[in-house]
Amino acid sequence: MTQSVSHGEDYQPVFDGKIMDELQTVLQRYPTKQAALLPTLWIAQREHGWISDRIMAEVAEVLGLTPAYVKGVVTFYTMYHQHPVGKNFVQVCTTSPCNICGAEAVMKALLEQTGAQDAGATSADGKWTIVEVECLGACGFATPVLVNDDFLESVTPEKVPEIVKKYR
Amino acid sequence: MPSLKVDGRSLSASDGQTILDAARAAGIEIPTLCWYPKLPTVGNCRICLVSVEGQGKLIPACATKVADGMVVTTQSHAAVENRKGVLRLLAERYPADHLRNGGRGGASPRNEFERYLVQYDVVPTAVETRDLPLRSGDERPGDPMIRHDMSTCILCTRCVRACEDIQVVGVLDVGYRGEHAEIIVGADGDPDKAGCTWCGECVRVCPTGAIFEVMPRQRFAPQQIRHPEKVVRSVCPYCGVGCQVDLHVAGNQVIRVTSPDIELDTPNQGSTCVKGRFGYDFPQHRDRLTRPLIRKGWTKEGGRWIWKGPQGAERRAGPWRTIEGEGRRAKPGTPPRATGKRVRELPLLERLDMDIRDRVATPDDWYSPFREGSWEEALELTAQEMLRIKAERGHDALACFSSAKCSNEENYLMMRMFRGALGTNNVDHCTRLCHSTSVAAMQRAINTAAASGSMREIEQACDVIFIAGANTTESHPVFGAALKRAHEKRAKLVVADPRRTELAGRADIHLQMQPGTDVALYSAMLNHILRLGLENRDFIAKRTHDFEKVREAVKPYTPDKAAKITGIPADTIRRAAETYARGPNTSTLWAMGLTQHANGTDIVTSLLNLMFACGMIGRWGAAMLPVRGQNNVQGASDVGAIPFVYTDYQPVGDQQVRARFARTWGVPADALSLKKGLMVTEVVKPESGVRGMYIMGENPVISDPDIAHAEHWFQELEFLAVQDLFLTETARYADVVLPGASFAEKTGTFVNTERRIQVSHKAVDSPGEARGDFEILMDLTNRLGLPTKFRVAEDVMQEIAQVTPSWAGVTYDRLEGAGLQYPVPTPDHPGTAFLFDEDFPTTDGRATFVAVEYTDPVELPDDEYPFVMNTGRQLYHWHTGTMTRRASGLDAREPTAIVEIHPDDASLLGVREGDLVRLTSRRNSMVSAARISERVAPGQVFVPFHYREAAANLLTNPVLDPYAKMAELKVCAVRIERA
Ligand code: SF4
Ligand code: SF4
Ligand code: FES
Ligand code: FES
Repeated sequence: MTQSVSHGEDYQPVFDGKIMDELQTVLQRYPTKQAALLPTLWIAQREHGWISDRIMAEVAEVLGLTPAYVKGVVTFYTMYHQHPVGKNFVQVCTTSPCNICGAEAVMKALLEQTGAQDAGATSADGKWTIVEVECLGACGFATPVLVNDDFLESVTPEKVPEIVKKYR
Repeated sequence: MPSLKVDGRSLSASDGQTILDAARAAGIEIPTLCWYPKLPTVGNCRICLVSVEGQGKLIPACATKVADGMVVTTQSHAAVENRKGVLRLLAERYPADHLRNGGRGGASPRNEFERYLVQYDVVPTAVETRDLPLRSGDERPGDPMIRHDMSTCILCTRCVRACEDIQVVGVLDVGYRGEHAEIIVGADGDPDKAGCTWCGECVRVCPTGAIFEVMPRQRFAPQQIRHPEKVVRSVCPYCGVGCQVDLHVAGNQVIRVTSPDIELDTPNQGSTCVKGRFGYDFPQHRDRLTRPLIRKGWTKEGGRWIWKGPQGAERRAGPWRTIEGEGRRAKPGTPPRATGKRVRELPLLERLDMDIRDRVATPDDWYSPFREGSWEEALELTAQEMLRIKAERGHDALACFSSAKCSNEENYLMMRMFRGALGTNNVDHCTRLCHSTSVAAMQRAINTAAASGSMREIEQACDVIFIAGANTTESHPVFGAALKRAHEKRAKLVVADPRRTELAGRADIHLQMQPGTDVALYSAMLNHILRLGLENRDFIAKRTHDFEKVREAVKPYTPDKAAKITGIPADTIRRAAETYARGPNTSTLWAMGLTQHANGTDIVTSLLNLMFACGMIGRWGAAMLPVRGQNNVQGASDVGAIPFVYTDYQPVGDQQVRARFARTWGVPADALSLKKGLMVTEVVKPESGVRGMYIMGENPVISDPDIAHAEHWFQELEFLAVQDLFLTETARYADVVLPGASFAEKTGTFVNTERRIQVSHKAVDSPGEARGDFEILMDLTNRLGLPTKFRVAEDVMQEIAQVTPSWAGVTYDRLEGAGLQYPVPTPDHPGTAFLFDEDFPTTDGRATFVAVEYTDPVELPDDEYPFVMNTGRQLYHWHTGTMTRRASGLDAREPTAIVEIHPDDASLLGVREGDLVRLTSRRNSMVSAARISERVAPGQVFVPFHYREAAANLLTNPVLDPYAKMAELKVCAVRIERA
């Protein structure tokens, strides 16, 4: 357990006020603190955009877990961001079936038109981060693209400008 | 009971045992890596796979329970091939080029894992030919004690479980996944923020040395570390847990300390804390005294020593500031601690612009009032002056402070010398400032002065742990870890403490009271218990007296009234009371937070009343445990280094007792005084009449309350001899300083907090002419006219056993191993794990209830002094810092004096972390650096008392407990300003 020392830095806790209330409701749904960790991290990520070391320590403190345990979980999964990401986090399936159906081109178009340049990098305006992911379970609708929580099917390079416009 | 066959041998196993357990019990070796005794089994390394008849696949021996009729082959072809496969895979990520040439013959394995590689003929591939890079991970760079070399990690996760399940801290875990998996330290690599206590449990369990201790590697060659000349079993010189430790010796130096096997029966069950494992290098410090020192001015003329030096204030002067002067002075600010910083930025030993040791060690000019002398000169002068003062001013003008850091034998010799040769009972030691009030309260109630139970019973059988005024995880860390394990497993934890200590933070109920309001709290708990009828009537009726008086006395203390006094909500008090009374087995622990008050005896009494009323004593699991501070404070008292009793608490005023001791020592009975002697806190008063003092291993100039006065008092003495390792703040005022031996340099016995007598063996010789305290005291006793002929410490123990009924069965032979918990009345008595199952050692076997009333602490905060100051210890330091501030690793962790202030108060005062603040009490003032911490409640400050440059005891209140003469060390009112 972390000793509760004051942090002596300008850290704005995530779990405060309304968010803390939300967490309390979430906690009631889970039998143990360990079980509540994933949703707690989701809230943190939603609020802060990504999960910093400092937020892991805060989550550990509010749930009464150890910081190392929290980091172990955060780093195990790919869907918790350990670095800042753009406002729109775009996931493109590039696994074999989608790849055959042109996922590479979709990826290329997205990178170019959003200005994100490289997979995993964030565009200069801070709006876009595009990443390649493994099978999204929609192989029949190649190429699937996840923009934040919106699931878009059968995306082709031609549809990219529209998507970029919509989410800009 | 299932039976099985392993490698052709028929074995029987107990229910629930694994194949591995059964094989180990029979001495059959099955290799293991992820498995470690007492840690939860994870079964992830697969090196322990064995063949079991009728099973298609290999079975992990560590994770498979024995079934009746199993036929197991540990070295089947399949099993061995599989093991080689496992080892080959692990070696693929492990730098093992040194094992490549020649395999079994040429390779020299450096650790447990490499031994398996060699044993199974696995030749690792060359590192540069591999596809996978070596592992990396959080490496604790710059750490003064523990570092990681994660390239050698095999991810067995022993360290993770040791930290989580033995120490119950949880600094480490596995981060990332697949080939990227690695051991991580907290969320950001900073062990401090992750709550690391530097206990070194992770070092001890790691099979590859990926987690290693730094100090030996910095100082000694790898060959020396791997093959020490000898390994000697000793007892840790710090706290009352009495951990057994193994000292590794090379070239007459302790090169490292390890802890005994986790499965051995030792009080520490294989653990140690940071002090025990890493605080061993102080005896090698350059400040060690190696020859006797004699104050310049003493000259010998015509066969007698005469003082020719200056008189008056100059008599004991020196080129130093008084503790008062040093306390008031501004000092270099404290480097900010790890809070909010990465390890790389930590101000550790290597990074400081000045060597920490130059600030805390003995300054060179402190030696200037002294000259080095021979033992003959030093002892002759000491004997001459003590005999002179005795002749001129009477026996009772002499006094000694014996030492809770010295062995039973040494304490016995000391009290024997003062009583037998000098005829005074002015013999005391630091117990006065420790558990004297507990002793007074326990004597009054049940005529005894020691713990009723054992530490291990808490983990084994206790349902509710009630801890009052004890910061166990810092002051007795190994026991603290056991408490945390008990709490994790089953026991409820109730903590009464003004500070939010680590245990308080974990507790089911934290009673965060205003300091010194304990009597109100325990009385209210009892009040509530009686109202609900939860008291143990049977116990009260059969085993106690005078309950009605207490029933009357607690009547006014309703939880609501106590809530006003203590600041704890009445409902919380009620809940705590019910939890305590419902047990079924509640253990009661307390320490300095209760005892160091001017009404300490009453406070402890009110807790005892609660305990007796609920019948929470005398069963396995319901223990009464006053947690002892020093490693031998129990023993020093047991062997009579206190002013009113001989060994075994036999009163000095009893003619028969006196006659027995006189006979044993070969002196006429009337040479021994029947008059009770003076206690530590009484000696240091102008009216005590004491003119000559002998101090062994204590440092009252830092540890006494209201030091400014005490320091002055010592300067006025006619003669002062100090026996110590270093020129301490007290020793600098001495006429003669006698260099003693450290814990590693002598053999002797020590008693831990659970009455366990253990023997500690000599590992190295003392440096220079320094001598064992045993030899010094023997020589001096003879010079003082009491012929004494012990050859070794063991001879002294024989005499102690003769005159100490409850130790009558103790011999050195019997103490090897786990030691013995006294009473051990006969040579074949096995020792006593817990006491009072049937009666108490009073004349009629019953305990006495004593009614007590709540009184306010002597000093309450007011407008002028608005804060309550509390004093205590830190994890990394020990008492006046004489040892720990000269132990490089410990000192690097906590190099400077601090005062803990609550963030709210700090922001009101405009004080930030590390800023200097001035604390002023009605007695004095001192300057220290602020540490902002939520562990203290608002309105309170906490000052550790280890620091000469900011001595807490400048400020403390010297009012005394009327029974035990304990000072009010825990509460005084102070004012805080920015300095
Ligand atoms: S550091 Fe040592 S104990 Fe920890 S997982 Fe790696 S090899 Fe095992
Ligand atoms: S030193 Fe102790 S507390 Fe720190 S990581 Fe190792 S086992 Fe855990
Ligand atoms: S491969 Fe793209 S969704 Fe399955
Ligand atoms: S020792 Fe059995 S699986 Fe590791």
